[in-house]
Amino acid sequence: MGKTAYDGTPRHLLCKRIPTPPFGDWNDRHYVDYDEYVATGGYVALRKSLAQSPDAVTQEVKKAVVRGRGGAGFPAGVKWTFLPPVPEGKAPGDPGAERYLAVNADESEPGTFKDRLLMEFDPHQLLEGIAICCHACGLNKAYIFIRGEYYLQAERLERALAEAYEKGIFGEKCVQNSDANSGGGPRFRVDCYVHRGAGAYICGEETALLEAIEGKRGYPRIKPPFPAVEGLFGRPTVINNVETLCHLTLIMDEGAEAFMAQGVESTIGGPPSYGTKLMGMSGHVERPGCYEFELGIPLRLFVEEHCGGMRNGKAFKAAIPGGVSMGILGTDQYDAELDFDIGRKYDVLGLGTACPTVFDEDTDMVAVARNISRFYKHESCGQCTPCREGSGWLYQLLCRLTDGDARAKDLDLTLELAESMGSMPGTTICGLADGNNFAMRTIIQKFRSEFEAKLKPAFVTATVGAS
Amino acid sequence: MPTITINGVACEFTKGQMILQVAHANGLDIPSYCYHDGLTIVASCRICLGEAMAPNPRNEGKLEPYMGGKLFPTCQTAAVDGMVVNTDSTKAVANQKAVMEYLLINHPLDCPVCDQSGECLLQDYSFSYGRGASRFEEQKVKQPKKDVGPNILLYSDRCILCTRCVRFTREVTGTSELYVNGRGNKSEIDVFPGVALDNPLASNVIDLCPVGALLDKEFLFAQRVWFLRSTPSIDGITASGDNIWIEHNEGKVYRVKPRENLAINKWWITDEVRYGWKHVHAEHRLRSPMRRKHGALIEDDYKRAYEDTIAGLKKAVGGGKRLALLVSPNLTCEEAYALGTLAKLIDPQAVFGVGPVPFVGEDQTFPPGAAADDAKAFTVRAEKAPNARGVQRVLGAIGQMVLDADAFLARVKEPDIGAIVATGNYREDWATAEVLGAIDRAPGGGESRFVVLLDTHGTPLIDHADVVIPGATWTEKAGTFENAEKVLQAFEQAIPVIELAKTEGQIALDLIAEFHGTPGLADHRASVVIVDEQPGQVPQAVEVVAPRSRLFNAADIRTEMADRYPGLSAFATDVVLPSVDAEKVEGVEMVEL
Repeated sequence: MGKTAYDGTPRHLLCKRIPTPPFGDWNDRHYVDYDEYVATGGYVALRKSLAQSPDAVTQEVKKAVVRGRGGAGFPAGVKWTFLPPVPEGKAPGDPGAERYLAVNADESEPGTFKDRLLMEFDPHQLLEGIAICCHACGLNKAYIFIRGEYYLQAERLERALAEAYEKGIFGEKCVQNSDANSGGGPRFRVDCYVHRGAGAYICGEETALLEAIEGKRGYPRIKPPFPAVEGLFGRPTVINNVETLCHLTLIMDEGAEAFMAQGVESTIGGPPSYGTKLMGMSGHVERPGCYEFELGIPLRLFVEEHCGGMRNGKAFKAAIPGGVSMGILGTDQYDAELDFDIGRKYDVLGLGTACPTVFDEDTDMVAVARNISRFYKHESCGQCTPCREGSGWLYQLLCRLTDGDARAKDLDLTLELAESMGSMPGTTICGLADGNNFAMRTIIQKFRSEFEAKLKPAFVTATVGAS
Repeated sequence: MPTITINGVACEFTKGQMILQVAHANGLDIPSYCYHDGLTIVASCRICLGEAMAPNPRNEGKLEPYMGGKLFPTCQTAAVDGMVVNTDSTKAVANQKAVMEYLLINHPLDCPVCDQSGECLLQDYSFSYGRGASRFEEQKVKQPKKDVGPNILLYSDRCILCTRCVRFTREVTGTSELYVNGRGNKSEIDVFPGVALDNPLASNVIDLCPVGALLDKEFLFAQRVWFLRSTPSIDGITASGDNIWIEHNEGKVYRVKPRENLAINKWWITDEVRYGWKHVHAEHRLRSPMRRKHGALIEDDYKRAYEDTIAGLKKAVGGGKRLALLVSPNLTCEEAYALGTLAKLIDPQAVFGVGPVPFVGEDQTFPPGAAADDAKAFTVRAEKAPNARGVQRVLGAIGQMVLDADAFLARVKEPDIGAIVATGNYREDWATAEVLGAIDRAPGGGESRFVVLLDTHGTPLIDHADVVIPGATWTEKAGTFENAEKVLQAFEQAIPVIELAKTEGQIALDLIAEFHGTPGLADHRASVVIVDEQPGQVPQAVEVVAPRSRLFNAADIRTEMADRYPGLSAFATDVVLPSVDAEKVEGVEMVEL
């Protein structure tokens, strides 16, 4: 049904109203208010969804195989079906039937800046996606957990939210509680809130995010129970990424097929990678920025054709496919296709957020490793012993490595520590230690010679002239 | 009953039990730091991780690797029937070693100056599960020592962030003084600014702390724990009947720790019980018998004190004059029985009373707002005497009527009281104006009577007595207390009685022997005598051991009480004896020091 390889035609679906090369100029980007949003076909998908039963919407999304855009790539429609049904005779929001949507807008993965675009310029698209999701899953409250550093974005979201409340998308007279809700689902009030984070990486982890919304310290929770059963405030909760929710507008407006026409089938027998993806390019390229492409675009094509090639004409050395937790693509993996197969095909953890960071030939990979490990040391929440203590130790070891003050045993120790901290599946509550381990291990594996070059020579006793 | 195999041992369990709990219940050791029976499970220390095979119902119940064969926390995974768990597999052991190494990299390893040394889980697990050496060559994270509360010090650098203490203040006391500050390896436990860790249960965090991070200011550098011996005891301070360990060395109490009893105090004790034993070693303890000679109290030996007592009582009682006996609520049930028996011997119509029961404030329930009958709640009793109910119960069974303290003090002012035997044993000065006004040799300048005082601490009351005999605190005796919930709990003697003092029970038995004209234990020289033959028998010239005062043995007394008085049969059947779990670590030989 879908393509097997990227066909090279750019299509803008999420960036319809956000001018992005090659269709528009970055300088023309502006805040799309309610009126402009509606004038350009906004809130049509929501109307169409409300005319269908919640179950039909869920099935449509499930059919489209919208894989989560936050990093893990878990199909959103399937995630929704894990929710227990609304108790018999009750509408969502009734006492004992509260159900929540947590929108993950924390976007704290280094090098990732895609959701930011959606919230800054076209927040109504997100709000429409939220309203569709609330209808489909019967959720009466949505919390948008936005990272604290996104001040402008949070302001714009609030502005859009005020417009949406005024126009009856949310609140007492919201669409789910009015005649618009003609698809046979229950009538209930939907509210939406913006919750600003305080700048911890770990709060982007779905269960830590729930804790943070509840006003607690952002410690990841133990699973099970899974959030779908016992999430926010102990109630069934859906957690979706901003970009995932934005995709719902296309699926519900034009149907699952329109979505599935984008992207590629898996070439290794895995689940497909349909749809377009916002990809934020950073690093040593001429024109970094956030672009939209169909999934499956090769990294080389992305860099050479759309980002103006490597900076100053240097050669490609390595790239992080999407967030440092995903590991690193080596020099010989420049042609890697950016789709959900990448993990199994190129020995990285996965596609992640699909926001690549590219390094040119001048980059010191030992310094890259040290920098990444510093990030993990700083962001480890401190709950589990291996991650709390191990990340600090790893950083100190890598500091010595970069300073040229380490011996061969220290390099082995670095690898062993990474291994014992977490190797999918790890020994800790959340995946942070796994990410740390994966980043370290792939960098050392793929660039071992650079690490070895920095080692102090070992003392060897050699007898010269002996027989 | 469902069965799970842990490290090769088949264990039965009830549904809902976690694997770690099943293991502990079956005497298997799975290491754990953050897990505690009384707190929620956070599964953050990661040392209890194990591997398992579990039956797959979708595959005809065949054993398959549980969770894809990955390591999972046994403290937080419910046991499944037929599961085979291993915490001694290669992978699990590698994890244990890794966790131990991680925990120790930022630990100062200052065991020689650490109070926890000897009862520290880091030490124990280093020995059992750790690796011999550390490969850590970097700088340790240094963290400060903090004064977090009136009784507690926090050595942050020793902390392993198991967060037991944080959860305790949130879940058990509901006071939330502690929290985790910072992130990653810079995380530290702290108190909120301007808030001290000061609540009636606060010091339990010291016992909860598996390492030497939270320390008792009072016990700080006082004694190495391997010199301490623990005796199971019962709270002798309040009416709660909390189960405690009295930890002592060479006749000196060093600290009191909670002893687990899920029916009464769970795993906790109040700070009042923990620190309330200071009167045991108080300067003003009475250490020798005293008798009045030429109007002045002089220290003398037991023989004369006993002779004076019995002679005085015999003289003062009779001819319409009554004996009044005041039994303190701090005495054991057995002692109340012995004293009551003595009183009835001297005067079958003796007046009985229970000493004043101190109350401070009202019962407090933790967490605040919890219902008193909530199984998880902990109640701090306002009643500050351990055995008011037990004394009442025993005296009530022996005598006709038992007066409460006020009624008794009013009663003894009446002229028909010829003698008073009063017992004190209070932590604080109990000689209030009312007590002093009533218990006197000649109240209000009236007719004089004979006053015997058995007390532990010097109070103005000794000036009102003809004979003063030094008693013993509850740490120095065995016996039974009845707590506020009417549970009878026996306890053991922890330390020897101070100097020349004796337990009140022993004093009563000695006086009974003295009353019968048989020499008491005090007079060892007369321990073997010839006793005259029974009437109606042919005289025999045989030497026998005299019926003499016996050693006060709480268990024997309990049997005797139950035999003699049907009302006291509970003492044969219902007394909860301290169960001592002899913990034996494999491969470690326990040596008496």
